Amino acid sequence: MSKNKEKGLYLSDRPPLTPVKAVLLTISYILLFFYVFIIVWPLAQIVFSSFNGNQGEYIHVGGAYQFSLKHFKYLFQETYFLNWVINTIVIAVATALLTLLFVSFTGYAYSRYRFKGRKASLMAIMLIQTIPAFVGIAAYYTMHSIISAVIPGFTRQMFLILIYAGGGIAGNTFILKGYIDSISSELDDAARIDGCGNLQVYRLIIMPIVRPMLAIIALWSFIGPFLDYLMPSILLSDPKQYTLATGLYTLITDVRNMHQPVFAAGGLLTAIPIIILFIALQKQLVSGLASGAVKG
Amino acid sequence: MKVQLVNIGKKYEGRENFTIRHIDLDIDDKDFCVILGPSGCGKSTLLRMIAGLTSITEGDLLFGGKRMNSVEPKDRDIAMVFQSYALYPHMTVYENMAFSLKMRKERKSVIHDRVLEAAELLQIKEYLYSKPSEISGGQRQRVALGRAMVRKAGVFLMDEPLSNLDAKLREHMRIELVRLHKSLDTTSIYVTHDQTEAMTMATKIVLLDKGKIQQVGPPTLFYEKPANLFVAGFIGSPTMNIFQGEIKDGLFHSTEEDFVVEPKAEDLALLKPFEGKKVAMGIRSERFIAGLADKNTVHVKVDVIEMLGKEQLLYCKFPNGKECVISEPGYFEYAVDEEHNFHFDVDGLHFFDAETTERIN
Ligand SMILES: Nc1ncnc2c1ncn2[C@@H]1O[C@H](COP(=O)(O)OP(=O)(O)OP(=O)(O)O)[C@@H](O)[C@H]1O
Ligand SMILES: [Mg+2]
Repeated sequence: MSKNKEKGLYLSDRPPLTPVKAVLLTISYILLFFYVFIIVWPLAQIVFSSFNGNQGEYIHVGGAYQFSLKHFKYLFQETYFLNWVINTIVIAVATALLTLLFVSFTGYAYSRYRFKGRKASLMAIMLIQTIPAFVGIAAYYTMHSIISAVIPGFTRQMFLILIYAGGGIAGNTFILKGYIDSISSELDDAARIDGCGNLQVYRLIIMPIVRPMLAIIALWSFIGPFLDYLMPSILLSDPKQYTLATGLYTLITDVRNMHQPVFAAGGLLTAIPIIILFIALQKQLVSGLASGAVKG
Repeated sequence: MKVQLVNIGKKYEGRENFTIRHIDLDIDDKDFCVILGPSGCGKSTLLRMIAGLTSITEGDLLFGGKRMNSVEPKDRDIAMVFQSYALYPHMTVYENMAFSLKMRKERKSVIHDRVLEAAELLQIKEYLYSKPSEISGGQRQRVALGRAMVRKAGVFLMDEPLSNLDAKLREHMRIELVRLHKSLDTTSIYVTHDQTEAMTMATKIVLLDKGKIQQVGPPTLFYEKPANLFVAGFIGSPTMNIFQGEIKDGLFHSTEEDFVVEPKAEDLALLKPFEGKKVAMGIRSERFIAGLADKNTVHVKVDVIEMLGKEQLLYCKFPNGKECVISEPGYFEYAVDEEHNFHFDVDGLHFFDAETTERIN
């Protein structure tokens, strides 16, 4: 009986739909579906093609479908795919770790300490951010030859890591600084009285609170090397040293070496490490820890 | 532990003037010292200097005779409760309270005992394993107290810990805090802008204004012998009535309200040098006596009555429109717009030099 009663009640917090609004809502949904289609359809094509034994050098839409793993086989046997995966993961992990380490220090310092040149250097970082990394190409070559003259083991890949991390540190310092700014500095004071030194204040108090932000920074720095084609294609010359982006690209640029379905298969596999990291960080990403620190 | 401030001053970077300066203060062992003052007068600054969170620009800070100016906060043997509680949000109540002991590498069993002991005393045992975000404001405040308590530090610092609680809880916590102070056997320094808190809890009040100490002493001294006009106006509710006037032939002549008062003999002797000079006279609301007397009487009209039960506050007007507050027992019958005679209790008169605002008697 009570159920019947509830049926007549309008329980939503929003005002009831008028006909005009209903039409607008329908249009929004249609647009959204269209948008989703644009994104999902090519993705679906990649997945299907990579498992389709009937596909040859080019991906054809439609046509017969035959499940097969031959593209994956080709990927592992005929190309340096495993090398590329390892290269990329090493570069990505190193980039993420370097970025996290440095951003932790710079973000905390910019947020908590007042020093000479604080404002000016923040502005400088902001401005330099607007110049694309690509512009520095010529300088990168010179720098690399200078550094490798001093340190013989300094490879092009290491240099790539430095470029990625360098860019990441600058931008993310801003983000982390803003996030730490929102944490009451009385927490630092309390920790200091409780017996923490500067580093301990960061490690034991601030870092756990900013963990969601650090997780995002780590994720983005990790994904960067997977997506970037330009830098490695210019800096790396030996196909064995390629990253995934540059390596896979060789499969679709040259007619002599054209294997679009293999490219699709490689792209599919590329997603795996990113997904794994994402799942690993999911708990950190969603936890909103800063609440309840101070009286509300 | 005895805390001494010798000529202490603080100037913030980028500020033109000293925020506070020339602060001389002795806080004895086991004192409950309340630093009182209006907002922005530098109370927190002073407390943070004692804690070592803000540097001391000039002067010396001594703990038990030892100079502390450049000692790190963690080595000063202090515990502090912050205005915003500053609980660590990612730790449970238990971890919050255990943190300082853990940092000092105490044994696990000792930590556990201390935390439980504090939790017992503050009645937060049920919440030991909740996060700060999951408990109420009042409970958070207790956790903040508990976190400071477990240290068993020599000096216990508190910065307006009650300011965000509701009136009832605040009243309750005032008593709890005094009890806590006694059981901890430490020196407590407590910052507040609330004179009721200061009057009820302190063994020693330090009243700050404009970066200077206005008066130091036990609460009764503040009420009975305010050192200057600022203290007289700051302490006591309702605010003390102040009348401007001058001394002529041993009598106080009010300038605006047009009445004459004959001070008692002791006061007269002290007022001698002020013959012909401007003087302010203060009297607390309860020092008016109802009825006519042969001298020192004023005739006023009742403007507003605030009935508080055991007493009533009469906001009265002199014929020239000036106001004064008189409190009388609640069972006396008064009505608005009635005219009445009151006379001054000469033992309750305060005289101040109108120029320097310093107390005379
Ligand atoms: N970090 C700082 N830098 C510069 N000036 C400051 C700083 N902290 C406080 N001040 C100034 O010092 C003065 C006193 O501040 P303080 O926080 O000690 O006041 P307070 O007495 O605690 O006030 P309240 O009761 O509102 O907490 C203020 O005028 C404030 O502007
Ligand atoms: Mg303050």
